[in-house]
Amino acid sequence: MCLPNMSAPCCVAEMSGCALDEENFRRCCRLLLQQSEQLRDGWSWEAVQGSEEGYLKKTALRSVVVDSSPAWDHEGSASDSEPHTSCRSWSDQQGQEEKQAGLVLSVDADSIKGGIEDEEDGEEDEDDGVCVVSEGSSQMLQYEYHILHSCSYSTPVLYFRAFTQDGRSLSLEEVWSSVHPNFRLRLQNSPLNTITLQEHPLLGQPFFMLHPCRTEEFMRPVLQAAQDQHRSVNYVLSWLSVVGPVVGLDVPLKYATQLHPAASLSSTEPD
Amino acid sequence: MDKQGNDNIDSHGPSSIKADCKTSTKRSCLPLDLGVCLCVWGIYYLCATGSRNSMADDKDVLRDVWFGRIPTCFILNQDEVTEREAEPYYLLLPRVSYLTLVTDKVKKHFHKVVRTDDVEEMWLEYEGTPLKWHYPIGVLFDLHASNTVLPWSITVHFKNFPDRDLLHCPSNSVIEAHFMSSLKEADALKHKSQVVNDMQKKDHKQLWMGLQNDKFDQFWAMNRKLMEYPTEEGGFRYIPFRIYQTMSDRPFIQKLFRPVSPEGNMHTLGDLLKEMCPAALPHDGEQKRYQVVIHGIEPLLETPLQWLSEHLSHPDNFLHICVTPVPSD
Repeated sequence: MCLPNMSAPCCVAEMSGCALDEENFRRCCRLLLQQSEQLRDGWSWEAVQGSEEGYLKKTALRSVVVDSSPAWDHEGSASDSEPHTSCRSWSDQQGQEEKQAGLVLSVDADSIKGGIEDEEDGEEDEDDGVCVVSEGSSQMLQYEYHILHSCSYSTPVLYFRAFTQDGRSLSLEEVWSSVHPNFRLRLQNSPLNTITLQEHPLLGQPFFMLHPCRTEEFMRPVLQAAQDQHRSVNYVLSWLSVVGPVVGLDVPLKYATQLHPAASLSSTEPD
Repeated sequence: MDKQGNDNIDSHGPSSIKADCKTSTKRSCLPLDLGVCLCVWGIYYLCATGSRNSMADDKDVLRDVWFGRIPTCFILNQDEVTEREAEPYYLLLPRVSYLTLVTDKVKKHFHKVVRTDDVEEMWLEYEGTPLKWHYPIGVLFDLHASNTVLPWSITVHFKNFPDRDLLHCPSNSVIEAHFMSSLKEADALKHKSQVVNDMQKKDHKQLWMGLQNDKFDQFWAMNRKLMEYPTEEGGFRYIPFRIYQTMSDRPFIQKLFRPVSPEGNMHTLGDLLKEMCPAALPHDGEQKRYQVVIHGIEPLLETPLQWLSEHLSHPDNFLHICVTPVPSD
């Protein structure tokens, strides 16, 4: 797993069982926002009316090749097979997809646009040679990412939705097909989890979610290493650098290298 | 008793249910232990069985909850183009199940009359509100329709799926995934996921199959493991609960809440509401404005939360609590 160097001083994650409680979640978010402001990469805090609760939000335009035909048919073939349980391993997904040869789709890995100024680029990016585009052409999609706190799992959770330019929301199949095939390979057998359609717990609307039930598992070594080396680490940022890229949300390395005097001075070590 | 409960919706023809619906509009009160007076709304099974011991034990509560039924009438949305007139369709809906899990027959019934090229994913609506299939049926009823005349009248749609309000449900495997995900979340709260992670895949399957096939014994043989806790702790780590309100934009409130106070007292339903949703409680000298409903009944606010969690939770192991305005008439 490739993690950016998280030596940049950020908030200190509570090391009690690697759990991230709500207060620490908000603190990590505040620090992430401070950095985001400097980097101008578009994160904002959406507060829930009349409470301290809220979530981090970011929207981005993304050029994605989405096949118009579904990658697999829920109604038919999937009905007898294993359910899409939230905690199913990545390899199951992979297996299912390999059955559907010829429907491989590509995402332009560098196509995240912070704003619309790049949209006029015009030139169709050449395929990077790893994956095969079958049908469908590249289109711009509007992605909306939310980072919430899950009190049940004491972890952050990534919710997102995606719209076409005419306002249609993407189906689960289309979202799956927009996950870069390289990620499917690389993430095989990793404790990252599958994408499911869920109700946004604060908005009550359908969002896709990367299930948090094994987050603690892959965060523990990160936090443990940080503690051993007496480094402070921003739980939310480290976590995001792992799960974000799966759905096209890259965390700039600058988050890790940028100097942040204010946080540096206030940073404390766990003891 | 068991048999009658198991004699579920499949074996009832629409005509026989029509007649039964009348009996279930009655309200009845029956004493249960812990002083909980259960005013039963629409729990068809309780109304229909008539005679029962006044000394019901806790196991009976589990059965009563499991076999709760809501008589329902499905009507096709008027805007759907039909080739001939669409007759309404009647079902007894299990409170603890999910709409999309028990409405296959509704879909088939209306497919017969709707023009096939117009048929998209079925969705259901009650008085303008799209019904979220991923909430248990009893929760949808208590939240949106508890003051309605029975049978509950649900409108069936095959067009214009409200993408921004409802989750798609293309197959039962999606329901299973949702159910297991909730159950795992509940165990994360109760036991740090230890019980559910110690179970084998076939055990998970047993829980799901128990719900899907309405097999009380099959489900509870496994579910009782999820209800255990160390005696010295007096309860679960946290109580998995959700509080739903119709007057809020937020779909539900879900936070951490322990069953036992730091001083060692059992927290009650009233304690929970006081912290999470104080508006729901009656204020001194004021008339009651909200009713707090679980499985169609208003449990006493003095009821220990741990007991409620063990006995009135849905199969997903969450205690779903509905706070609705008291009807004005």
